[in-house]
Amino acid sequence: MIKLGAQARLKKYVLTQGLCTGCGACAELCPYQVFYHDRTVQLFRCDLADGKCYAFCPRTPTDYQSLKEQLFDHDDLTDEIGPVKGFFLARAADAGVRSRAQHGGTVTALLELAMSEDLVEAALVSGQNKEGEPEGRLVTNKSDLAVYAKSRFTVSPTLAAFNRIKEEGRKKIGIVATPCQAQALAKVRTAAIEGYTGAQSIGLVIGLFCGWTLAAEKFHSLLGEYCLPLEELKRMDIPPGRNVLELCTAEKTLEVPLGEVEACIRSACRYCLDSTGEFADVSVGAGRYGMGEHQMSGWNQVLVRSRRGEELIGLAREKGVLEICDAPDGALDELKKAAVEKKRQGLENIVAKSGSGKNLLYLKNHTQPRDKKAGRVKSVSRQKRQDGDS
Amino acid sequence: MSKLLSPDKSTVLFLGNEAIARGALEAGLAVASGYPGTPSSEVIESLAAVADRRNLYVEWSVNEKVALEVAAAASFSGLRAMAVMKQNGVNVASDFLLHLTASGTRGGLVLVSCEDPGALSSVNEGESRYFARMLEIPLLEPADFQEVKDLTKWAFELSEIIGNVVMLRSVTRMSHASGNVVCAKLPARSRRAKFSYDGPVMDSKTGPMISTPVVAKHLLHQQKLKTVEALFEKSPFNSYTGPARPELLVITSSVCFLYVREALSMLGLRGRVGVLKLATTWPLPDRLLRKHLGRAAKVLVVEEVLPFLEENVKVLAAAMAGKTGIKTFFGKYDGTLPAAGELNPDIVADAIGGIMKVRRKKPPASYLSEIKKAASLIPAREQTFCAGCPHRASFWNIRRAIALDGREGFVCGDIGCYSMAALSPATGYHTMPTLHSMGSGTGLAGGFAKLSAFGLEKPILAVCGDSTFYHAVIPALINAQHNRADITFIVLDNAGTAMTGFQPHPGLTVSALGETVPAVDIAAVCRGIGAKVVIADPFDIDTTTKILTGYLAQKGEVKVLILRQACALSPEKKGKKTFDVRVNEELCLGDACGCNRLCTRVFRCPALTWDKDKKKAVVDEVICAGCGVCVSICPQKAIEKAQAVI
Amino acid sequence: MKKRGLEKTLNLILTGVGGQGNVMASRVLAGMLVDAGYVVTIGETFGMSQRGGSVMSHLRISPDEVKSPQIPAWGADVIVALEPLEALRVLAVYGKPSVSVLSNTRPVYPIGVITGELDYPAPEIIKEKFRMLAASSWMIDATDIGMRLGNPVLSNIVMIGALGATGLVPFDRRMFEKEIKKTLSPDKRLINMKAFDEGAAVIR
Repeated sequence: MIKLGAQARLKKYVLTQGLCTGCGACAELCPYQVFYHDRTVQLFRCDLADGKCYAFCPRTPTDYQSLKEQLFDHDDLTDEIGPVKGFFLARAADAGVRSRAQHGGTVTALLELAMSEDLVEAALVSGQNKEGEPEGRLVTNKSDLAVYAKSRFTVSPTLAAFNRIKEEGRKKIGIVATPCQAQALAKVRTAAIEGYTGAQSIGLVIGLFCGWTLAAEKFHSLLGEYCLPLEELKRMDIPPGRNVLELCTAEKTLEVPLGEVEACIRSACRYCLDSTGEFADVSVGAGRYGMGEHQMSGWNQVLVRSRRGEELIGLAREKGVLEICDAPDGALDELKKAAVEKKRQGLENIVAKSGSGKNLLYLKNHTQPRDKKAGRVKSVSRQKRQDGDS
Repeated sequence: MSKLLSPDKSTVLFLGNEAIARGALEAGLAVASGYPGTPSSEVIESLAAVADRRNLYVEWSVNEKVALEVAAAASFSGLRAMAVMKQNGVNVASDFLLHLTASGTRGGLVLVSCEDPGALSSVNEGESRYFARMLEIPLLEPADFQEVKDLTKWAFELSEIIGNVVMLRSVTRMSHASGNVVCAKLPARSRRAKFSYDGPVMDSKTGPMISTPVVAKHLLHQQKLKTVEALFEKSPFNSYTGPARPELLVITSSVCFLYVREALSMLGLRGRVGVLKLATTWPLPDRLLRKHLGRAAKVLVVEEVLPFLEENVKVLAAAMAGKTGIKTFFGKYDGTLPAAGELNPDIVADAIGGIMKVRRKKPPASYLSEIKKAASLIPAREQTFCAGCPHRASFWNIRRAIALDGREGFVCGDIGCYSMAALSPATGYHTMPTLHSMGSGTGLAGGFAKLSAFGLEKPILAVCGDSTFYHAVIPALINAQHNRADITFIVLDNAGTAMTGFQPHPGLTVSALGETVPAVDIAAVCRGIGAKVVIADPFDIDTTTKILTGYLAQKGEVKVLILRQACALSPEKKGKKTFDVRVNEELCLGDACGCNRLCTRVFRCPALTWDKDKKKAVVDEVICAGCGVCVSICPQKAIEKAQAVI
Repeated sequence: MKKRGLEKTLNLILTGVGGQGNVMASRVLAGMLVDAGYVVTIGETFGMSQRGGSVMSHLRISPDEVKSPQIPAWGADVIVALEPLEALRVLAVYGKPSVSVLSNTRPVYPIGVITGELDYPAPEIIKEKFRMLAASSWMIDATDIGMRLGNPVLSNIVMIGALGATGLVPFDRRMFEKEIKKTLSPDKRLINMKAFDEGAAVIR
């Protein structure tokens, strides 16, 4: 049996299986693979037996448990939401940043801080190309960051932009990553590929909470049905407890039932088990908990995961760029519950796809968290809220 | 001075096709027409070169059907005319040929079919001899170079005797081979054209040139053919050599006669095997066959490609079995000779040797085993697009657009140098899965594009060359437009009929005779049909890929892209480089690039080679045509170009 | 027209890669021999072969009879190659112990070799095979000589010059000069004679 080359295996086990998340990790490493119109495209046939494309892809067989042990402190690992050094709510101290953000502006504030303190020399965020499609954008001027603050609902192949950066031009970069992108970056850091030095430029990974992303073509069809041109779309949000997606233009807000939106979900998202960005240094989500019933509007939930992340938050407190407060009681439990439900659903979909409980597609040595009462998380940073409440 | 005008009694080395041209000149040819097709093209080319001196009209027609029509008009007017084509062309001309053989002709009209056994330069191994039988016209097959000339000359005379077309059949190993020919006189005066048509309908010399009344004319036609048989009985072009009562009789025609003779020498059997060489292979001269069939009990028929002669001899032999006895036949039917592929002296020697139980002398076994060892070291030499070929760039663009589109689109191919995209998938970057006859790519694409109702949801593309466009594509394009077949149609316009040797076509302002003529603009024709038309330069990779990707996404109309860039071998480009291209050794990372040698392994230009010692890419300046396209493909930008100094 | 020398048919194969001037060389050789009174047959294929494929011209030089345009297996007396791999390819089908081989040294890599899929035999190996399979062989830097004279395509004329000097085929310099006068303009004749002479010099 002739072993298939890396590109062929990527096609066979990921691209043709509806598992491609669009993270961009396999694109622009070489002239053969690009990300185009919401798809990973293989332009020519490569016959190399092994390659970075296969090694970096978060949906090729991976032992995620072992990766966590390698990259994070063992004692911090939780079954439900990955490594946790701390959990709290935060928002940007700067009202200007908050006004342009999706929720609390925490990601922007952290990136601005990392750049001013020279922890990183540039930020890799998601922007848009001329046709309005999301793509990675390298920002070297921190005053340009705020423009990129809103949430995206179709995937940005940000890691393709990471790959595009020439070796000589690499500096330490702070990357805003979806959970699948953070997974890919974890594989980039641990793959140890001879002659490849790209991993050294990963300075910081800020993860985003993510439930799903929308397939571009289907989403654009949906917008067409609502007579909403893509260019006019300024903001999207899922308000808590109402089961709709809000589409906001400059003049009006449209509400689309979530059921219709769910039909547009990118197929790969159904097989994802990570809703909280478990492989980031710091993960940031909406200040929303209890299955979306309660909300701290204008705040973010923050999970600190690594030492680098801890240092960054420490610096944020010191410089006063973030307002930080404890999460309400039960918020962490709610978060864990939601995360576990995502894992359960993801695993169910994987088994339905593979046809066997023994074949978990891309998951190697996977153990599903058992339902248990969530315990207290160790070393949660406590900080009084600025208004003095305890 | 062209050797085609060599004096009477001179001995000249002629290409088989040149000998045909000379024979036609000696017969007083006035008009010659054809369509380029290997192995026939040199007939028209050499006549065009002397057209002025010999007062000829020579034309490269848009296709073989029209070529035959043009020649027929000359014949109707009392002039001697010739239509020249390869075997495929006879199929294209066949509808008219059917009606022409029914209406009859006046001035001698010879249809020359140059065939390609073994498909050395074709994508088929077709045979036209059956047309002669089916359409009831004489068929002549010359066996050596002198005969090619003499038989061609006589064919015109024969045509006038029966008032119908005569088919002369040649093969690659005759047309493209050369040999000594003794020339005869070239006639001094040429005839005047006169077309009479007012006479009675059944009068072939003065009546209208029509095939009706069909049955009456058909009977007349058949009667005339019978008179030919009598001529064939006495023809000096049929000959027998060998013993009076041979152990084996070989009946053969065309260049196979030379193979048979050679084989008999190789086997030392000239004294034991008789050879009946037939130049007049339809209708077969009955009495001649009877005389020679009577010589031996075993008969081997040697011919290319199908068992045409074998079948016809068997029919006669069955009828005369009472007189000549029952024969044992060897040939293609019983597997003595291969059913497909071209013959050569070795194959024929094996066949004869097998029947006669004589083995051919071989070199010593030790030598043969050394040869076998050497043979195992030899890498195949695949055909590919020339360095600087615009087709390479065109297919590079097509491949990229199809991949970006993501729906596994494909290209329906057509005939020309670009056919190599199908013949060698890597050459065309795996984009072209169909290849048939001239113009069929567009027809097929129009068919595929209507199958979305049945679940075939891919973008469909078709390509054709500029010459092919005029030959057969236009009706298919009209069909696609009219039936709303949503195809992306690409014309690979390299300004000439390149594959066959750069003959002109209606897209150019020059004719076969070198005169300035009006060009017929492909873009205008496509727009006239109602399609959307864009013209681009395939060497501009970014623009062309973008146009194509856009086209593939557009539904509901025929989209035409004309990719214009002259052929690397064209007179305007040959030997002249636009750029000096070289690989910057410092920038080329070799295998360490991780691009898996995109430049050499995937792009596949013969001038972009891999230096095994330095392990880097290097441009072979002898082969490089200086087009500069490869500069855009290297991810390290290691291939550099500079304007060439003229 | 006097006949010289040959009592039985001489079989010569001219080979190379499409575009190297194989056809022109075969015409020139044949033309000289027809004038010398021989019955010559050339068997060739062109067209598709030009697109980087192998080309062969089979020359049959007979004192009396029209020979078939294809030489039988193991039937070559002389092989003249404009490219060394093609010399080997022809040798493997048409070689016999008494064959003589003249080969250009410069390789033209098949596309399969360029892409790394196939291997081109090392020059020493090719030379070795010539030694084992031919009675006599010569390696000539014909392309280099051609390039020195200003055009690599002159390599085919260099090879003809070399062939003449071996005496294997009944032609000489005078016959060559007479032949090229038929088709070449005066300005081209000089460089062709130079190429012929340089080829001959390699042998002597």
